[in-house]
Amino acid sequence: MTNVMTQAKEWVKMERLSKVYPNGTVAVKEVDLSIHEGEFLCFVGPSGCGKSTIFKMITGLSNPSSGTLQVMGKAASEARKQSDTAFVFQDHTLLPWNSVIDNVTLPLALRGVSRKERQQEAERVLEMVGLKDYMRSMPRELSGGMKMRASIARALVARPKLLLMDEPFGALDEITRQTLQIELLELWRQDPEMTVLFVTHNVFEAVFLSTRIAVMTPRPGKVAELIDVPVPFPRDESFRTTPEFGQIVRSVSQALKH
Amino acid sequence: MREETMTTPELSFGAGTGAGSAKLRNSSLKKAWKTMGPPGVAFILFIGGWELFCRLSGLKPYLLPKPSDIVQAALENASNLWVSVYTTITEAVLGFLLSIVLGVGFAILLASSKLIERSIYPYAIIMQTIPIVAIAPIIVIWFGAGMNAIIIIAFLIGFFPMLSNTLIGLNSTDHNMKNLFYLYNASSLQTMFRLRLPAALPYIVAGLKISCTLAVIGAIVGEYIAGIGGGNGGLGYAITVASSRLQTAYLFACGLSASLLGIAFFLLVNAFSKWMLSSWHESEMKSSEG
Repeated sequence: MTNVMTQAKEWVKMERLSKVYPNGTVAVKEVDLSIHEGEFLCFVGPSGCGKSTIFKMITGLSNPSSGTLQVMGKAASEARKQSDTAFVFQDHTLLPWNSVIDNVTLPLALRGVSRKERQQEAERVLEMVGLKDYMRSMPRELSGGMKMRASIARALVARPKLLLMDEPFGALDEITRQTLQIELLELWRQDPEMTVLFVTHNVFEAVFLSTRIAVMTPRPGKVAELIDVPVPFPRDESFRTTPEFGQIVRSVSQALKH
Repeated sequence: MREETMTTPELSFGAGTGAGSAKLRNSSLKKAWKTMGPPGVAFILFIGGWELFCRLSGLKPYLLPKPSDIVQAALENASNLWVSVYTTITEAVLGFLLSIVLGVGFAILLASSKLIERSIYPYAIIMQTIPIVAIAPIIVIWFGAGMNAIIIIAFLIGFFPMLSNTLIGLNSTDHNMKNLFYLYNASSLQTMFRLRLPAALPYIVAGLKISCTLAVIGAIVGEYIAGIGGGNGGLGYAITVASSRLQTAYLFACGLSASLLGIAFFLLVNAFSKWMLSSWHESEMKSSEG
């Protein structure tokens, strides 16, 4: 799994990708980056470094100003229509009037999947995130961490090939955050084809999760450095205290200062 | 569930023991007294003072009837009063239902296209400012005096609050959730019925609460203008007749019935909104403080 970059398919390909907003702000400047099948890639950087803008372009919420961006060999807005992409935001975005199971199966319901199949898939993913007993609960009855688990379950329900996560653990406390990081890695490892793109401003989080880190710097937003994290999986709590971890954290922090 | 145990801590504390349940009954009685007591006393003092004032001052009953006169007038004309109330209820409810269906329906139409909204909504606002009494005679000309015209007047007065509230609700959907639906390739119909409409429910409910009392007012105003006599005129008609005959006590009885009707209608809609929203919306959740 750590060796996927050499041979695997290119899931996302950016060439001289730029985004200039109408007011003249250069949010992203000439980014070249290839992301391959099975990777866990973190974009890390301070606010205003363009990581969210890159994300919006990959999801098709925003169009590139220049350069090319291909997602699974297609333009981003086309790729989204294949339903191979799933999203998790910082906000859990669960519908408050729907139960957990109805929230989780929303992507399937929007595609017209039958109720029976939805039920099966919901049980599968809720089992994966440990929320099976809360299927009939309403979102407000869940804690912050459980809401985020439900949100992740919703993303996984359609068996995505590309999982886009925009600071998903940003609003959680440190303890919950660390638990969810380990759970997320487990979920990712269960599906060797799934590629995860993860935006964060937390260097420790990035190092713990990634196979590769894209360090971004602001004004104008660009990828300052690409740093491999050649540490095998499974990774557990003990990884956070190894010298290796500290060393990679240092080099990421160094790259952020450019 | 958590809130329930928080609002009645005595329940878990004294469960099973006789002393505990007696204590509970005692404390809930105390609570009831605390909320109902002061306004109850104020009510009795007010009515008593009124009765006393009329008896001592010797004011003519057609100027200010005593509370006892009002009760007597209501009892003497009970069957007439009931028919009037019943007629007004029917008109108000039908007008109200019409305003919900058309108000929400038009709001969905306006919200589904910015172009339609921009071209029609200004006129909707202008129409809202036209006093209903001013156009009521036109409605009577078009639909004839009687039930139809009255229902339409009750409908018109409740329609715009429904329309504008629903429209505001439909347009204030959370941005992240809209993105979510967009990213999962939801059709605009799916977005409307699975996201925007449920999200607008608190606003719609606010509209319901305004429109339900307005519908009662609309029905009575309608009866002033388009009411028909005979056996089954509504409260508005009964009020005009009573006032022309200087039956002041009965006039008071009619007015009181009208306000009771309005209150009952409002409480009903309020209970309905609680039931609709209690599972998810902040505004209708049980609060944890007592």
